[in-house]
Amino acid sequence: MKIKIDGNLYEGIPGETLMELAKRNNVEIPNLCHKIGFEGQGRCRLCMVEVNEGRRTKVVSSCVFPIKDGLEVVTNSDKIKKMRKDIILLLLLKTPNNQYIKKLAEEYEVTAPERYEDLTNTEDCILCGLCVKACEKMGTSAISLVNRGTTKKISTPYDDSSKDCIGCGACAEVCPTKAISLEDKNSTRTIWKKEFNLVKCTSCGKYYTTKEALNFINKKLGEESSEHICESCRKKSISKKFKESYKDYASHIK
Amino acid sequence: MSSEKRKILVCCGTGCLANNSYNVYTKFLDRLKNTSIDVVPSVKSTGCNGLCEKGPVVKILPDEISYFKVKESDVDEIVEKNILNGEVVDRLLYFDTNEKKRIVSHKDASFYKHQNKIALRNIGEIDPQSIEDYKERGGYMALEKVLFSMTPEQIIKEIESSGLRGRGGAGFPTGNKWRTCFQFENNPKYVVCNGDEGDPGAFMDRSVMEGDPNTVIEGMIICAFAINSNRGFLYIRDEYQLARKNMQLAIESAMAHGYLGKNIMGSGFDFDLEIVRGGGAFVCGESSALMASIEGSVGEPRAKYIRSVEKGLWDQPTVLNNVETWANVPPIILNGADWFRNLGTEKNSGTKVFSLVGKVKNTGLVEIPMGTTLRELVFDIGGGIIKDRPFKAVQTGGPSGGCIPKEHLDVSMDFDSLNNIGSMMGSGGVIVMDDTTCMVELARYYMEFLAEESCGKCTTCREGISTMVKILNNITNGNGKMEDLDLLESLSGTIKDASLCGLGKTAPNPVMTTLKYFRDEYIDHIVNKKCSAGVCKNLTSYSIDKDTCIGCGLCAKKCPTGAISGTLKSPHEISHDTCIKCGTCFSVCPSGAVVIGGAANEN
Repeated sequence: MKIKIDGNLYEGIPGETLMELAKRNNVEIPNLCHKIGFEGQGRCRLCMVEVNEGRRTKVVSSCVFPIKDGLEVVTNSDKIKKMRKDIILLLLLKTPNNQYIKKLAEEYEVTAPERYEDLTNTEDCILCGLCVKACEKMGTSAISLVNRGTTKKISTPYDDSSKDCIGCGACAEVCPTKAISLEDKNSTRTIWKKEFNLVKCTSCGKYYTTKEALNFINKKLGEESSEHICESCRKKSISKKFKESYKDYASHIK
Repeated sequence: MSSEKRKILVCCGTGCLANNSYNVYTKFLDRLKNTSIDVVPSVKSTGCNGLCEKGPVVKILPDEISYFKVKESDVDEIVEKNILNGEVVDRLLYFDTNEKKRIVSHKDASFYKHQNKIALRNIGEIDPQSIEDYKERGGYMALEKVLFSMTPEQIIKEIESSGLRGRGGAGFPTGNKWRTCFQFENNPKYVVCNGDEGDPGAFMDRSVMEGDPNTVIEGMIICAFAINSNRGFLYIRDEYQLARKNMQLAIESAMAHGYLGKNIMGSGFDFDLEIVRGGGAFVCGESSALMASIEGSVGEPRAKYIRSVEKGLWDQPTVLNNVETWANVPPIILNGADWFRNLGTEKNSGTKVFSLVGKVKNTGLVEIPMGTTLRELVFDIGGGIIKDRPFKAVQTGGPSGGCIPKEHLDVSMDFDSLNNIGSMMGSGGVIVMDDTTCMVELARYYMEFLAEESCGKCTTCREGISTMVKILNNITNGNGKMEDLDLLESLSGTIKDASLCGLGKTAPNPVMTTLKYFRDEYIDHIVNKKCSAGVCKNLTSYSIDKDTCIGCGLCAKKCPTGAISGTLKSPHEISHDTCIKCGTCFSVCPSGAVVIGGAANEN
């Protein structure tokens, strides 16, 4: 199916969302709560665009909008630009000291009216929900969105340390505003009010994950591996394997 | 006097129950046991009669005599005079403020005579806990008709031609919804009733569920048969205890009578219905949040680019209608689409139930043909403003509706006309306001309600509404600036366009409509630091006009802080140091000498 975004034609895959199509084609639509591999959530509202389906124009959120053949999309009309600025303003008022949001505000030339900006506010979370999605994808669902309205927050059940949390840190990894505190000190990791013992990389000897996360993955894979290596060592080892496998081929094409 | 067996109907809707009507009911039962009368009247407890303010309501049939504000101590007199001697107890009759006289039958009262009851047709006439009562008034005949003489296509066609639109607020054509769902063939399909009425001041759905639960059930079974669904859910907010109880009893008796369950009335069609209790979140009245809640998830809405008729409950095709919509289905099937179309206007057929509340003489539940004007609703049915004060505005459509000023009093009460002037029908709440209502404070109040009830999923609704509350707080506290109005308008536009669900999209309505129709009041608050309604305490001061004061001393007597001094028959004075601005002097002054001033007048 053919979809026109800002005047350019793109080939859409049935079933994908407008955001997926845009990301696949490197079309920039600003967003905070979308990540490839996760279903769209429609939370942050920054990805609002105007679409025309023939009869009328409407404003939709790209991350959850299913594409249709013949769709025409405008990502930067005056209306959309104003909307984006207002949304960034609202996020800035919520997290006035967060570096990521401050940078975003600067980029979009948004300044908060002084009277409504509370600079003593140290909130960092913009409730994009990516951490909850990541935790759900891991298969643990230790954290979720609790309460409603302005009291809504991300937390473990009853704000206690959760028996389901494996300390993998996927939540902190996906957080765009670095709002989740993950502290690694010597052989201990502290996250969501829970302490974990860290495990060393069998290759470089660096502490890199928790025992619980390792057990969880082993259990999921159904195998117990004696070798467990950190991400950078894994990268090194894979590139080494590549190099060896293609050594002859590489000299061959020279 | 008629020889027909008399019936005594005691209203036991929530409003009357709160005024002790259950004891009135039992007192009648007891009293009649000890009466030497040939034909003992039957006593029934019924659902809500609408005029809740004047409850408890007692009706005597077939005489058509209605008594209001009946107390336990009145029962003996009613029995002795009316039941035994056929005399009317004058003092308990309804006093019609429009006609300025007492009225024997409630049907002749201004409040009732303009009404036309379809959804409420049985309420107040039957015992909601008796399926026999419902059947006596034609109940389950529509079901029999569809099961044995109509095809699904014919049923859907009938609903389509009736022009029935969803009574929950959006006004989506019901037949259209059923047809789309009917066309999807992936089973199972579900039928859902939205009984999560959450607007402050609205009690239409509660009254239907409490007073005529079987009509909701019958409507749902008819739809289920038409779209081929075998399972339905009634989502009822948990605070509605009596509604839940009566619905549960009705489900059980419908099961026992073969109207629910397997092989309904021997037709081979199966349908099960169960109640799901809502946890009290306003947002769960939004259909996708409601479905998430039934599924056991957090009540957050989802984007509806794919409609629930295709992917609803558990991603299966689902028809969700509101209580009042369901209550309209059986009469449409029985009387035909044309009969329904003849009522109301061309694009808004039938009637609509409104809960009329606020500063109006007759408050209660009203069912009127669509197209009735707001003026008729407020002045003819509602009897006008309490104490005949000036009418200021009406809020329709609940917290996310809009304020309608007096220049639009002749607006036709239907989905489209209300939308056109920036308000909405919503579920049918009508809150009447007089000159003592501050429109800025009103907007602030609704925004605060919505900030608390926003589910918090999307940025614009969660952060946008709470930011608007902060701005409005500044204005009502006397710290507003003119640029605040620009910010309010800009945020309103963004929240309306960019929010995820209906709650967020309509949330700025109270601010947008008050800014449109009552901008002067905002400016008065910001520039002149004055709240002319005397509501915003920081912007209000009271003083006594020397020339108008008759020196009766009533204000001084009633003032809770002793801030008023003066001698009898000479003008009184208010001390601003001790005055707490409660406004008591303003409301008790018989000569209108108490004047509301702004913050500046205090100094």
